[in-house]
Amino acid sequence: MSLEDASLDIVPGELLAVVGENGAGKSSLMNVLYGLYHPDSGTFRMDGKPVRFKSPRDAIAKGIGMVHQHFMLVPTLTVAENVVLGREPTKRGLLDLDRACDEVAATAKRFGFQLDPRARVDTLTVGSQQKVEIVKALHRGAQVLILDEPTAVLTPQESDELSQVMRGLVAQGRTVVLISHKLKEVLGVADRVAVMRRGRTVAEVRASETTVSELASLMVGEGTKGAALTGVPAVASETPEAAAGPVVLEAKDLRATGDNGRPALQGVSLTVRAGEIVGIAGVDGNGQRELAEVLTGLRKLEGGEGTLLGGPLAGLTPALAKARGVGHVPEDRLARAVVKAMTVEENVALGRHRQPPFARGPWIDFKGRRERTNQLLTAYDVRPPDPAVALQALSGGNQQKVVVARELDAAPKLLVVVQPTRGLDIGAVAQVHERLREARARGAGVVMVSLDLEEVLALSDRVYVLYEGRVTGHFPRKDLDERELGRRMLGAEGSHG
Amino acid sequence: MFEVLHSLLFSTLDAAPALVFAALGAMLSERAGVVSVGVEGMMRTGAFFAAVAALVMPTPLAVLVGMGAGAGIAAVHGFLSIRWRSDQVVSGMALNLVAMAGGTFLLESLYGPNGTPAITQLSRWNLPGLSHVPLLGALSGHAAPTYLALTLPFVFHLLLTRTPLGLRLRAVGDKPHAVATLGLSVPALRWGAVLGGGLMAGLGGAVLSTAVLDRFEQHTPAGLGFMALAAMVFGRWTPLGAFAAALFFAFGNALRIGLASSAPWLLDLVPQGFLLALPYLLTLLVLALQGQRGHAPAALGTPYEQESR
Amino acid sequence: MGERTRQVLPSVLSVLLALAVCWLTIAFTRDADTATRAYLQMLWGGIGNWPAFLEGGSSNAVLRPLGEAAMKAALLTLTGLSVAVAFKVGLFNIGAQGQMIWGALAAALVGAHVSLPGLIHVPLALIAAAIAGAAWASIAGVLKLKRGVHEVISTIMLNWVAVSLVDNWLVIGPLRAVAEGASSITGTAEILPTAQLPRLLGDSSRLNLGFPLALVAALGVWVWLSRTRSGYETRAVGLSPEAARAAGIPTLWRAGGAMALAGALAGLAGAVLVLGTEGRYPGSLGAPYGFDGIAIALIGNNHPLGAALSAAVFGILRAGGTRMQLLGVHKSFPELIQGFALLFVAGRMVWLALLDRRQKRAQTQAQGPAQAGAEVPRV
Repeated sequence: MSLEDASLDIVPGELLAVVGENGAGKSSLMNVLYGLYHPDSGTFRMDGKPVRFKSPRDAIAKGIGMVHQHFMLVPTLTVAENVVLGREPTKRGLLDLDRACDEVAATAKRFGFQLDPRARVDTLTVGSQQKVEIVKALHRGAQVLILDEPTAVLTPQESDELSQVMRGLVAQGRTVVLISHKLKEVLGVADRVAVMRRGRTVAEVRASETTVSELASLMVGEGTKGAALTGVPAVASETPEAAAGPVVLEAKDLRATGDNGRPALQGVSLTVRAGEIVGIAGVDGNGQRELAEVLTGLRKLEGGEGTLLGGPLAGLTPALAKARGVGHVPEDRLARAVVKAMTVEENVALGRHRQPPFARGPWIDFKGRRERTNQLLTAYDVRPPDPAVALQALSGGNQQKVVVARELDAAPKLLVVVQPTRGLDIGAVAQVHERLREARARGAGVVMVSLDLEEVLALSDRVYVLYEGRVTGHFPRKDLDERELGRRMLGAEGSHG
Repeated sequence: MFEVLHSLLFSTLDAAPALVFAALGAMLSERAGVVSVGVEGMMRTGAFFAAVAALVMPTPLAVLVGMGAGAGIAAVHGFLSIRWRSDQVVSGMALNLVAMAGGTFLLESLYGPNGTPAITQLSRWNLPGLSHVPLLGALSGHAAPTYLALTLPFVFHLLLTRTPLGLRLRAVGDKPHAVATLGLSVPALRWGAVLGGGLMAGLGGAVLSTAVLDRFEQHTPAGLGFMALAAMVFGRWTPLGAFAAALFFAFGNALRIGLASSAPWLLDLVPQGFLLALPYLLTLLVLALQGQRGHAPAALGTPYEQESR
Repeated sequence: MGERTRQVLPSVLSVLLALAVCWLTIAFTRDADTATRAYLQMLWGGIGNWPAFLEGGSSNAVLRPLGEAAMKAALLTLTGLSVAVAFKVGLFNIGAQGQMIWGALAAALVGAHVSLPGLIHVPLALIAAAIAGAAWASIAGVLKLKRGVHEVISTIMLNWVAVSLVDNWLVIGPLRAVAEGASSITGTAEILPTAQLPRLLGDSSRLNLGFPLALVAALGVWVWLSRTRSGYETRAVGLSPEAARAAGIPTLWRAGGAMALAGALAGLAGAVLVLGTEGRYPGSLGAPYGFDGIAIALIGNNHPLGAALSAAVFGILRAGGTRMQLLGVHKSFPELIQGFALLFVAGRMVWLALLDRRQKRAQTQAQGPAQAGAEVPRV
């Protein structure tokens, strides 16, 4: 992530959106603006005067506040403690928590938020935590509020609510900078849009004078058709109805506990057939991750039953799942899919390292491993095509290509993918989507969990919606409707499913 | 009976301060997220320099020198683990080894194998009203560190739970990035905690050579630093918990030594080795029962890395 | 600068810097001449006084010091491997000391109280020691894997438990050797001759089978880690436990196994000490070889062969330490060098930053001045 020659004019009292692909430098620019990163060269001017932010302290003093994509809250502290941290009210040198609670409650109320200042942050929902973040900035008197991908974890309805909050702040004369890659959403709320590409600002346009497809082509650059690559309707229409094959997964009433010890799956039933892509939609944290983990043997099934590729779902382990033909592209690539300090070829072997061509008896088969890796690197166009380089030297997109190559090379009968394109640039996204379609064409059943509704809509033959560990909706392709999905993601039951 | 209890309490209160100070120091550093296995080395350094200083200056001043020496070791730890984001356990163990061998080398080359010459011990204070009250009388007749050790844990408790600084320290140990985005300096807070921890560990060491003994001995502190770590863990990284655990361990030690002289037959039934092992076994047991994750600061041992651009 | 150089160079520089710093320490407390002569004595004490030997001295002048160095190197190699193996699976084994204590005790008991022909007795005593060490380490392993107890804390505690139970109870109580005649004996009973590790260079040198044993162990660990499936799995678990689990690797078994192997290696160190030189479990183990293992492993960059190499270096220095006493420098002085070396290795990041800066400067000089900065953007 880097910036070169990025410029931005921020006009008071407007809602400016900064759009760009992942890795285009949006977050970097904002972190520079907020004093967290330091530019090699360049200047800021505020109200005509040059300013220099050595740390966020300076930015805060100048009235800039930021809500980070990954919340910057201390989970063990209360809402009030989080908000006042760094500017704590005191009485005779001691912390005055009562006053802190009053102040925070007052600030929250002034902007129309409902927050219990005495609640511990780790007991709050994601949506509430985001409100704490916003209150934290406003409490510091932020005139300019930067929001970094704030809707990534929200439902469409929660996003609407956030839009109203942002418009409300602008109406009060504050300035909001919204960073996003969701173009439709941006056009609905912003006054002006700045487009970034490869660390540069390439355009600034009025929201009322542009369209999604114009922004998309600005984002990816000249000569590329934006709409075709952003996963908006054009792609969806390419997807034909799948010819359903034999059932590869039949699950009834699955139950499992989440990491926090609370029930994560509370009776999920689903069916997956060979040769179809089944999308799992839902707001982050409604059991999708746990479902994927149950299907790949990573999480213990505590109730319900199922048949997965001819064997019982209960008692599944990762090794057993692999042996039956389950492929897995997990959500958190660096944590789950690869060992970044190992070489590319060692990562290609990961999970299949006990069988030829990666092993011969108890020994590693160096030659066989090298040959197979070279084949895959060529086939999937991984750069650099060097099997002996450490995986962490590759870009995120190329790392993901290695993971997808490895999983598909094993010719899985059921492929479980979670957020397969998170953090990838548009070119890599298109390639990953193409590979998933290929897997389907080859007859694999694909379960795709994604928080990106556009992705779900673009690829799925059928969609299950999860809410609080239950299926609240089940839509065949022809009945897919974004608003209806959103309603189900918030727990509304319907006649379907 | 009272006689026995009295003398047990008395020796507990005599022996506890070093453990209490070191445990508080380790806790301070760890609550801010910096692992403190180097506390043994800091104690040794503090003990050595306090003893050497006491040869040429009044003992109370020498104790300050010992504190400074502990902080000096802590500064190296801070330099490696905060400034250069080194592995905190490695850095701490390295300092332990350096302090171990360095102490021996300096001691032998300056004073010979029998330890430093004797120094004037810190004077003991008699609390006139208390001396003759049963049991409470054990409170009287200790040197200043004992009384400090009985109050400092409460000061630390107040500091951590009721002051802005304490709030920030807790936050920086749990989620440093959140602290950084509010414009507070993570390194500054951690440096403060590490140096403060070094001062406390140095004080613990200095007490050993100026109040418990009257010189620096070859093996000082003989694992007391590690016992302080146990007390900190046993006390769930809280000042009062660590205090209670340290007192408990010191009491156990006093009991063992008391038994060895007054009731040797008992030690045939319960071997000394068992009693020696008891603090560590108990700490292990408590950890095994509760698991550790719930109580250690979340970012403990994780170097803070602010992407520079 | 190649990746391998980046791995090795900081360790080498750290040892050299430690040698320099410690030389200065003597030079300041004494004088430069004493410092130099002390270093020479240390060298002769470690690798043998070759000048004297070549001038026609007895071969003992060389054999004895080399034997001492090899003996120390063997112990350091084994405890260093113990720490390094645990590191490979992501665990910090501070507990080699405690594991070594149990290993030494087991070897001493089997060596003294079981009578067998030598060909079986020695292996049996070694195996007993390895099992004892492995069992002790496994306590920490199980606590970590089942209860989430951090291994640094648990192994520190276990060390003290081992010291308390063995040194302060068993070997002075139930297991103490029965006094023969008037002389009271500290430690356990003398091992039988059949259990002694054979000496390789005759009686004048204490070089025994322990040294080749340690080298074989280092080679074995290296081959296992780099060439076998299970070694690969172990490294994967160490580098990313979650990814390893998702890949179907039995992470608990690999982590537990590596910890047990670490304990076994430390236990072997105890056996080599008892069967090779001490002849019994003495009153206490003497030197904290288990803690030294931490330094050896880290200076050796957690590579099995690196650990063997750094053990050889410090084995030589420490064997030479006794000779420094001739000049009034305490025999533990090499431990100070070792401590500083570890401290400097802990600053690996500092070394790498310095090396990178040097390299960058060399490059800019070769290429001429870097291009002027990009144009200044407006904001």
